[in-house]
Order: sequence, then C-alpha cells, then structure tokens
Amino acid sequence: MSETLVQVGKYAEEAGTKVNPLRKNESLVEVSQDRLKEFVNHLVNDSHVRHLMTITGLDLGQNLAITYNFALERDKIHVRTTVPKTKPQALSIVDIVPGAILYEMELHDMFGIDFIGNPWKDQKLLLPDEWPADLAPPLLKTTKPSEIRRRLGLEAAKP
Amino acid sequence: MSTPPDQQRREESAGLMEYSTESLVPFGPIHPALKEPEYFKLILEGERIVNVIPRIGYVHRGLEKAAESRPWVQNMYMFERTCGICSFVHSLCYGQAVEELTLYQVPRRAKYIRTIIAEMERIHSHLLWVGLMGHWAGFDTLFMWVWNDREVVLDLVEAIAGNRVHKSMNAICGVRRDMPENMTDRILERMKFLTDRARYYREVIDTEETMLKRTENLGRVSAETAEKLCAVGPMARYVGLKHDVRLNDPYAAYDEVPLDVITSNEGDVHALLKLRLDELIVSANIVSYAVKNLPDGPVRVKVPPIIPAGEHASHCEAPRGEIFYYVKSTGGRTPDRVKSRQPTMANIPTALEMLKGQTLADIPIVLTAIDPCFGCMDRMSFYDTETNKKWTWSGEQLRQYGINYYFPERAKQQRKFARQMGSSVNESLREAL
Repeated sequence: MSETLVQVGKYAEEAGTKVNPLRKNESLVEVSQDRLKEFVNHLVNDSHVRHLMTITGLDLGQNLAITYNFALERDKIHVRTTVPKTKPQALSIVDIVPGAILYEMELHDMFGIDFIGNPWKDQKLLLPDEWPADLAPPLLKTTKPSEIRRRLGLEAAKP
Repeated sequence: MSTPPDQQRREESAGLMEYSTESLVPFGPIHPALKEPEYFKLILEGERIVNVIPRIGYVHRGLEKAAESRPWVQNMYMFERTCGICSFVHSLCYGQAVEELTLYQVPRRAKYIRTIIAEMERIHSHLLWVGLMGHWAGFDTLFMWVWNDREVVLDLVEAIAGNRVHKSMNAICGVRRDMPENMTDRILERMKFLTDRARYYREVIDTEETMLKRTENLGRVSAETAEKLCAVGPMARYVGLKHDVRLNDPYAAYDEVPLDVITSNEGDVHALLKLRLDELIVSANIVSYAVKNLPDGPVRVKVPPIIPAGEHASHCEAPRGEIFYYVKSTGGRTPDRVKSRQPTMANIPTALEMLKGQTLADIPIVLTAIDPCFGCMDRMSFYDTETNKKWTWSGEQLRQYGINYYFPERAKQQRKFARQMGSSVNESLREAL
C-alpha cells in the first residue's frame, strides 16, 4: 500500500502540491481547481484508488472546499479543492468516476456549487421542488434555520 | 431551475417531469433506508425499462445542519435516529470519528460489546431483508417464518441494550451499558438456532420454485460497472468485489474475531439472497466468538464535552454496506461540520444499472434487492413510449402485477378466491391494466 502512496505523492508533485498526512492511514491532498481532474485521473486509473466514498462540502468563509474522499483498503485519501463563493463552479469528475454523479448533485443542492459536465446537474436531488430560487443553499454558514422555516412556510408547523 | 419554460412544458406534457409537490420537506442530507419515500422516473419501452432517473430527499430532515448547533454527545443519539434498522452503526461510525479527535482510547471490553451489537444488528437487518424478498416475490410463507426468527435476535438485543431498535448503547469512548451477567449460554444457544435456520432458508431458496423463478438471472451487473459506480456492501460483494470495511479497515474488535468475507461470482439477485444468508452465519459466528472471549475491564472512559480541533473521516460496514461520517471540530462544544453518507445513496447508481433492461414485473424484486426504501413504490409513475399511455400504481398493485406476470395460474386462483370473498383488491389492478 505504501507503494501506492509514494506513487500518489509523485502525481501530487506533478500537480504542484504534496500529500499531507493527517494521521496514520489518512492523508489530505490540496489541489487547485485546474489541476484537479488530471490528478484524479492519475489517482483512479494509474494508482487504482477507485473507491470514492463520498464528496464532502465545507464552508470556509470566503471559499467553499470540495473534498473527494477516496479509500483504498486501510488508506483514506482526501483530495481537496477550493472554489470562491462568488463563483461556485467546479468541473465534474463523472467522466472519470461515474459513481460521483449523486454526490455532485447533493453538493449542488446543499452548497450551490455548479458541476460543469454533470448530466443531471440542473435537477434537484434532496431539496424540495418549491425551494425558493433566491434563498441561499442550506448548508452555508450564513443560512439560518429560522429563515428557511419562514421561507418554506413551516413556521406554523412548529409546536 | 434554469430550464426554459417551453421545454419545461414539453417535458411535463410528456409525463416525464411529474413530481408530487405534496411532500414539503426541510433540507438535510440523510437518506432514508426503508419504507420511506423515494421517487424513480422509469422510462419504458413496451415492457422493458430503458432509463431510470432517481429523485430522493422526501424525508430529508436536515440532520447535518442540525448537528452544527448541538453538543457532541447529543449528536450521537440524533444520528442514531437516521435509520430505524441499522441505527447502532450510525452512532458507532460518528463516535469513532469523534474519538479519533480526542486523546482517549476506547476500552477493549467496549470494543467487543460494540462488535456484538453491530453483528446482531446485521443479523436482524439481513433477516428482515430476506423476509421482504419473499413478500415481494409472492412467497409470503417465507416472510412469516423469517420475521418470526428475527424476533429471536431482537429479544437478545433488548436484553443487552434495553431496546429493540434504537439501542442508544454508544457513548463517546465506550458503551453506556455493560453486558448483563449470565447471558453467554443464552446467546450461544440462540446463535446456533439462527445458524441452523439460515442453512435451512438457504436450502429453501435453492430449491423453491417461486424464489428461483423470480430471482435467477435477474439484475445482472458486471464487476467493472459496480466498481466504477462505487457500489458498497453486499452490492459489491455479489459481483465478486472483496469490498468489506470490516476486512479492509478493521474497527471495533474486527481485527480479533474470525471474519470470513463472502463473495459471489454469479452476480444475480439469487446470488444476493444466498450471500446475505451466508453473511448471517458469519455474523452468528462472530457473536459467539466475541461472547465467549469477552475481555474484562471498564466499558467507558469519561470524555470532556469539548473536543480538540481537527478533522477526521470514519467509515464502518453497516448491514447495507459502507457508511461514512466526516467530522470537523474547531475546538468548541459543537461540531463545525458533520457529513454523513448512507450506503443506499452509494448503491443507487448500481441499482439503476440493474433495472435497465428488466421488465416492469421485476421492479419490486430488483429494488428490494439493494435493501433500500421502497416507499418509492407508492409514487411510481409509468410511461409507455410505444403507446404514450401513462398511469400510476401503488406498491401493492405493482407487487400483484409481478406475481401475476410470473404465475398466471396462481393469479387465477387468487382472483377466484377474491371474488368469493367479495374483495376488491384485484379490481383496482384490472382497472390499472
């Protein structure tokens, strides 16, 4: 397994970054948005780290972080890229990892990130159909639960 | 969304974009696991399914957002309420993610107790699933038998944890209750009983005509496709991928117990049935071993309510496959972010692949095969591309249709019986047809 990690380290260097070990069997690679697809392609097709556990979104204040959580046996490899909140657009990896399709849709619903190249990106997966278009995505830190309840007309349902 | 009005109208008139707007659901990325609403848009060509588009989220409760305003310990019991079947493994996975951030170690006895409960949960979940497969295939006797045997393991869980479904056994760095005394013999005896029953059911499934006819050569996916679509749990193992978190990344006491990962190369729904029954036997062995070799010592370490800053991702093997929790702390009393991903979410793309090319009558079986929620059945709408006819069926009507499709003789008898009884169940089906 360590061989794979060495190989991943090499690809990370090619993408202008490095593997950052978080703890035993868990590492984080921070890649810029324009090198991401190239790196994921190496990771999946050359290093055979094929299992994408999920994609996690994070609100970092000015930016949004997209973390692709890969796993190979004991090792977890998190590949993180950031996009600015003012222009939340990222490239879809569905052509490399087809299993990412629902996770990208989920992030689109929850953080408002547009994944360019995802065939179902304009479809809602988790949010209700009547979610107001001008209401900010729910998992941003600036969106308050009370506001969502008010806008969706759920105030009366509260005991 | 950004669809132009013209196009939207056209799609609506084609019946492909019909959603029920009745369910008004708050947000939150938790996926339901069983008997909950889920929506699939099926595009049929005559009798065959050509495409499926999923729509989930009808029971989204916003747990991830809610977790950001609740203390660490409270979250553990909130996430346990994600699922009404595999509840324990959610709190276990969340707990492991949090424990990694603290400096405390989980006592060895607590690890064993966690393993015992997790495996008992797997046994009851798999039995529940086998029963439901029997029900949807039109073999209700199997359903009755299996669910009767499921009570055996639920009684054991109740004796240990105090509750049948929501055990609330986990605490951060330990478990809340010790094993009751003098339980060993009882557990061993019941596990032997369950092993015998699982062997018997395996024989039934291999020889009984109903199950063979409904499940053989159904829902085939290649190993390559399943791997590409990131399938987890039994859905990966039934095509031959050795994907099991208990083996790949052992947690709790799984590195010390005899674990046998079952895989199959047949790759159809029948293989899934056999695989889950075999896994049940493995789980019973693990429980027996863990009970016999239960170490002494404390079961819990007290942890301060403030968790040090850091982030960690944890995964566990739930009965349906790998579950995933990501936790980020900024050193406060509440988490900064918790992300949870359920196995059904990971298995939906594979299930859609399985459905393609199957007949309408096979939908209940194939969708049940992934062990998902099938409240979806009650909102399924159909569209025939040849005749432009569209209609909606309830789950019961779809089940009847499946049984009639495969066993017309039996359906005739049932209709005769229904006429005698003055029942109108089959009337509505005839209307639908």
